[in-house]
Amino acid sequence: MPPVRSARNRKPPPDGFDDIEDTLLEFANKMKDAENASHEGKKRHEVLWPIFQISHQRSRYIYDLYYDKEAISKLLYEWLIKNGYADGILIAKWKKQGYEKLCCLRCIQTKETNFNATCICRVPQAQLKEDQTIECAEFS
Amino acid sequence: MNSTGVPRLAVASSQQQPLSKTSSQLAAQKSLGEARAKLKLEHAEATTAVVDPSATKPPRLTARERAKHPKLTPTDDILTTVAANPWAALTSSEQLESSPLPEGWTEHKAPTGQAYYHHDSTKQSTYVRPSQAQQPAVRYSQQAPNGITGLSFNGHRLNNSFGISGGLPTFEGIGNHPHGNRIDYRGSGGSRGGHANQQKLQPKDRSKLKYDIPGCKPWVLVKTKLGRRFVYNPEKNESFWRIPSDVLPSLTEFDRQEREKRTRQECGESGDMEDEEQAEAETVLATAANGAPTAAPAPGTSLATNQQTDRQALDSDDEEYEEVEVTDDEDVKNPSKRQKTEDENIEQAVEFNEDDIAFQLAAMGQDYGLDPGEYGDGGGEELIEGAEGLALTEEDAKALFKDMLSDQGISPYTTWEKVIEAGYIVEEERYTVLPNMRSRKEVWGEWTRDTIQRLKEQREKEEKKDPKIPYFAFLQKNATPKLYWPEFRRKYKKEPEMHNNKLSDKDREKWYRDYISRLKLPEVTLKSDLIKLLKSTPLYALNESITIHALPATLLTDLRYISLRPAIRDPLIEAHISTLPPAPTKLEVSLEEQEAQAKERQERQRRQEALAERQRQVQGEKRRQNGALRYSKGMLREGEEEVQRAMRVGKEGLLGHMAEEE
Repeated sequence: MPPVRSARNRKPPPDGFDDIEDTLLEFANKMKDAENASHEGKKRHEVLWPIFQISHQRSRYIYDLYYDKEAISKLLYEWLIKNGYADGILIAKWKKQGYEKLCCLRCIQTKETNFNATCICRVPQAQLKEDQTIECAEFS
Repeated sequence: MNSTGVPRLAVASSQQQPLSKTSSQLAAQKSLGEARAKLKLEHAEATTAVVDPSATKPPRLTARERAKHPKLTPTDDILTTVAANPWAALTSSEQLESSPLPEGWTEHKAPTGQAYYHHDSTKQSTYVRPSQAQQPAVRYSQQAPNGITGLSFNGHRLNNSFGISGGLPTFEGIGNHPHGNRIDYRGSGGSRGGHANQQKLQPKDRSKLKYDIPGCKPWVLVKTKLGRRFVYNPEKNESFWRIPSDVLPSLTEFDRQEREKRTRQECGESGDMEDEEQAEAETVLATAANGAPTAAPAPGTSLATNQQTDRQALDSDDEEYEEVEVTDDEDVKNPSKRQKTEDENIEQAVEFNEDDIAFQLAAMGQDYGLDPGEYGDGGGEELIEGAEGLALTEEDAKALFKDMLSDQGISPYTTWEKVIEAGYIVEEERYTVLPNMRSRKEVWGEWTRDTIQRLKEQREKEEKKDPKIPYFAFLQKNATPKLYWPEFRRKYKKEPEMHNNKLSDKDREKWYRDYISRLKLPEVTLKSDLIKLLKSTPLYALNESITIHALPATLLTDLRYISLRPAIRDPLIEAHISTLPPAPTKLEVSLEEQEAQAKERQERQRRQEALAERQRQVQGEKRRQNGALRYSKGMLREGEEEVQRAMRVGKEGLLGHMAEEE
């Protein structure tokens, strides 16, 4: 049986966590609200949109802090990913050319769609028809 | 026919002929006889189309020139003229506005703002203000494009200033123009909107200066804004681009004088001469302004013309009196040559002037898809000028925005969305210095990066504060033996000291329990413990110069320090400090070095101890060896003695034994 990690015997987070703790807490609260929000009158997939959105925002926040602003240490960054504050696989995609603004991993998962295509949000703005509504987690 | 229309009509009819009066005279002489009859007929017909035949004089040039083209019917003439110059129609309506409308006509406003007139019974519409005399001319208007009624020879858009009748004939011709497309451009008679554009493109010529021609009294020389010039007879109300032969000698004389003046000015004696000339011009203009209304006003329709020209005269009065360099002087300088040769090439060459340049500019502008006014022909310039204010530079704007972010006390670790949602910065004035959201977000990124880096550096600089110090102070303040650790933790779980990441919960609990157990001890032991602690503190950490408020961390993070109440503890510490010597001079010796020294000392001591131990061991060994040696030697000696004793058995011993037996 693995050892039970409680607040009592947990290792403290790396330096610099205090600075971002408040923002992360807000994201956590938002996520809780989104999880507990009513699903009345929503489609099945629509319910997940706010979840994806908040997850994306939080990952982007940590990504920016580490790669763009260099505000947090590598130790803390890895600790955050390990502890589920950011989506490491999504961030790995952001580092690739052409995927800098990928909203979620589902949007490039072609096998989940009927015509083996990516999400509509991956289509460049110039190629879209006018007044075309985009239904995706990022644009909801 | 109205005198104002004379020059243009002449041009329209003279398809291939040069336009000097003298040339037409020559031509007229040739064909005078055959054309005379027809001419009269045409003239009579043409006059029917004229607004006020009574007010007009017989055309001087037209009649003769017409003689050259007897086949040209008046209708053709009129229509081509109208097509060639729609402005004529426009201006004539302006001039006629004062006169009352004839019966059946009603006035309306076109969407463009221009007034037009409609006849209910005949269902005719025209831009030209109809008058009683004009009624018969309506039949032409039905054929004219765009319903612009023709026969408006009485008005000319360009420069009827000083009541001078006659347009600028050189540019209105159809046949004799060097540029073929020019005809389309000018005379296409397209939509009104198109005309409005073209009106802008055409440079507006107007009279600028007026000179009396010496020795030829009623005639005056008028120079226009564009540098052209014509002669004008105010008494007869006549004007000609081509200088009449009777005026020509005096005009050449005048020109010569002018040239002399100019050369003298160039030579250096500028000042007063210029002033003189200015004054002269001014007086001339003043007289012109005064004299213009009296200058042979045609009764009836031409009254409006005169009013308009008066206005123009006054306008020109207001403008600068600078002398215009006459570019097409050749007209007058060598008119005799012109007379002889009737060389039309020269004339065509001369005709390429500012008007043509303006036209080419317009064509180029159309090629490049520019709006009129974009290529700088007046108009648009006024709008552009003065629009600039005292603009902030981009750096200033960015700095201002950053200042605002700093002043608002925003954490650089938050997200941009949250900052905007909070809305404090949106209400600020400095929020608006950046033009759009993207630039704001960019500057926010820059600011956060900079601020975080600065914070990092600051933290590195300031010494690491032991997290135990606040917790121990917190313990002394709040911990009581009445509370067990879980109760204490629950009670103060919101305090920052209770969830500092640097300290583990285990340690906190341990220190709490120790502290509580110490609180139960008698005060005397606590005091003695504190004194022991103070004495054990090294001199560099605690000496004379240290106050009670800046005690070393080693003291503050000791349970023995917090165990006593401050009321008892502080006097004790102060008393102890007062007994201490001043700080050691070797202050520059840092902690680390001291630690290293201590370590070395310890090492040395340990080594010495080890050496002593080893020596002790060696001595013991030696002793043991010596003992063993001594023992073995003794044993050896004993053996030898025994052998010697045995060897000592002699004969006497046997003899003695035998003797015993015996």
